[in-house]
Amino acid sequence: MSLSLMGYRSWQGKLGSSLRSIWPISRVSLQLVFRQKLYWVLYVLALMTFFVFFFGIYLFSQIDTETITPNRPGIPAQTANKFFVDIKNSIQKDLKLSGDVETYRNFYVLQGYYVMVVLAMAGSLIIGNDYRYGSLAFYLSKPMGHWHYLLGKIFTVVIFTALMTFVPALVLYFECSMLMEEGYFWEHLALLRGIALYGLAIAFVLGVLVVTLASAVRRTAPLVMIWIALLAICPVMGNLFVDRLGYSANWRLIDLWNDLYVFGSWCLNISPVPVVGQRGFIRRQPSLTPVLIVLGSVMVFCLVYLHRKIRAVEVVT
Amino acid sequence: MSEILTLTHVSKWYGPVMGLSDVTLDVKPGITGLVGPNGAGKSTLMKLATGQLRPDVGTVTVCGKTAWSAAAKLYMGFCPENDVFYEEMTGRQFVRGMTRLCGYSKREAYRRADAAIERVGMADRADKKVRGFSKGMRQRVKLAHALVHDPQLLILDEPMNGVDPVGRMELYALFHQLAESGKALLISSHQLEELEKLTNRLMIIARGMLIASGTLSEIRETLADIPLSVRLDCDQPRKLAADLLNLPDVLGVELSDVHSVVVRVQHSRRFFTNLGEYLAKESLALRRMESLDASTQAVLDYVLKR
Repeated sequence: MSLSLMGYRSWQGKLGSSLRSIWPISRVSLQLVFRQKLYWVLYVLALMTFFVFFFGIYLFSQIDTETITPNRPGIPAQTANKFFVDIKNSIQKDLKLSGDVETYRNFYVLQGYYVMVVLAMAGSLIIGNDYRYGSLAFYLSKPMGHWHYLLGKIFTVVIFTALMTFVPALVLYFECSMLMEEGYFWEHLALLRGIALYGLAIAFVLGVLVVTLASAVRRTAPLVMIWIALLAICPVMGNLFVDRLGYSANWRLIDLWNDLYVFGSWCLNISPVPVVGQRGFIRRQPSLTPVLIVLGSVMVFCLVYLHRKIRAVEVVT
Repeated sequence: MSEILTLTHVSKWYGPVMGLSDVTLDVKPGITGLVGPNGAGKSTLMKLATGQLRPDVGTVTVCGKTAWSAAAKLYMGFCPENDVFYEEMTGRQFVRGMTRLCGYSKREAYRRADAAIERVGMADRADKKVRGFSKGMRQRVKLAHALVHDPQLLILDEPMNGVDPVGRMELYALFHQLAESGKALLISSHQLEELEKLTNRLMIIARGMLIASGTLSEIRETLADIPLSVRLDCDQPRKLAADLLNLPDVLGVELSDVHSVVVRVQHSRRFFTNLGEYLAKESLALRRMESLDASTQAVLDYVLKR
């Protein structure tokens, strides 16, 4: 077997920057995730909220059309209109499917529960297994830095999360543009910017958090448990402190998902203080500055941890 | 010959545990074997050489670049011992994906990956999922991944594990071709008899220290005070045995069969000088002379016992 016969020739071209290795890392990781049937099932489940919103918006727009239709055979116009108006009010009140700013915020909030579950499962596959099985050596022996590897993995989670949050929200925006009033697309460009900002904030914060946790825990079961503790128990605690015990609204800062909600509300230019319940009970929310401090601190903490972790890939066995 | 890998006074600790202590070495083009018992520091040395670890003290350079830097990794290929990787991918997808990390365009990366897969003899099996690969096939895929960017330095951790005898011969040939083309290969192996077939240049590591390096004969030379067994075949073994006992460095003599004498000597170099003079004086002809303690295993055993 001669070397020259094997197509082995020296490279004459210019090699790309190490930054270009981020995308291949993400691509390989996404391939790994989407080769597993379980993740397709989880992804479809995660899109259930999207389908509810998608068809809900369609129904909402059709009710508008139906209510202006004159007498239908067999049904008195008044009865039909009342029926449609009731449905419309119900949809608007509970899901807020009118295509306004609350539609998207509501979508992100509801979608968050699925995202948490799917990310907890995917985290160990995307990054935990690299540590657990020693695949890290394959990456780190290539001409790229440790940070390129981490950025590649974070980018994977960002894409994965965006596919469940930002991308469906974008589809809803386009749907509203087609079904709602004329000129919706151009008149709501600020809303589109808010949707993008909120979606990307969710993707990046969760991306960094998942990569950090998966680096620390590696195995799926403990990762899921810690993830649930972070994103399910913390909201309960926050609600308990603020709503039941009457502590300062800043106690709600321990709920990371709520912090993202406050930030998202700012992105969408809407008040983060919704009125809930029959008696108009107001859920007090912290202001934007402490929210930004908490989110920033979490990101910095995660990045510092990852930096220390990646410098110490060795394990004494 | 210019050094491709250089470690200068390198030490590495894992908390209170010493991984490597004040190691200075260089690896030149050709094949160099890295041997040592478990926990000796071989893996630490390889991780330092491949830039996966930073030394606590000292410097590690590959072709003049700090091993930790991305620039140095352009010159090195690493085939780790671990063979659990992405089971859901095919071998070709894995190698292609890893090649893209080197900065090549997609087309060039695919061409190189395919060529490397062909070089390691996996062209007909690379499109199967890694999950179904045997240990030998995994080794080949790892080797393809290490070779793909034409590195000057190849660091191979137990590359022969699980490879069948025919495959071994193919890989030996490939390693020799790479060495002849000016590349440096640092091969860690527990199978010393396999390593002997590849090279006689060794680095022996124990307790985190480099305790010997050089060719087998050079290392054996440093062990002058350790007795050496030499087998001598001639027509008059009894006379030879009796006369050898008169030589100053001979510790003992044994008649092993009809034509053979096994002599145990203290200072090998002086013994061989005296033996030459004796044979010339007595006009005795030797049919064969063989050092029984100069195998890699014997040298390693001696070195480790010291």
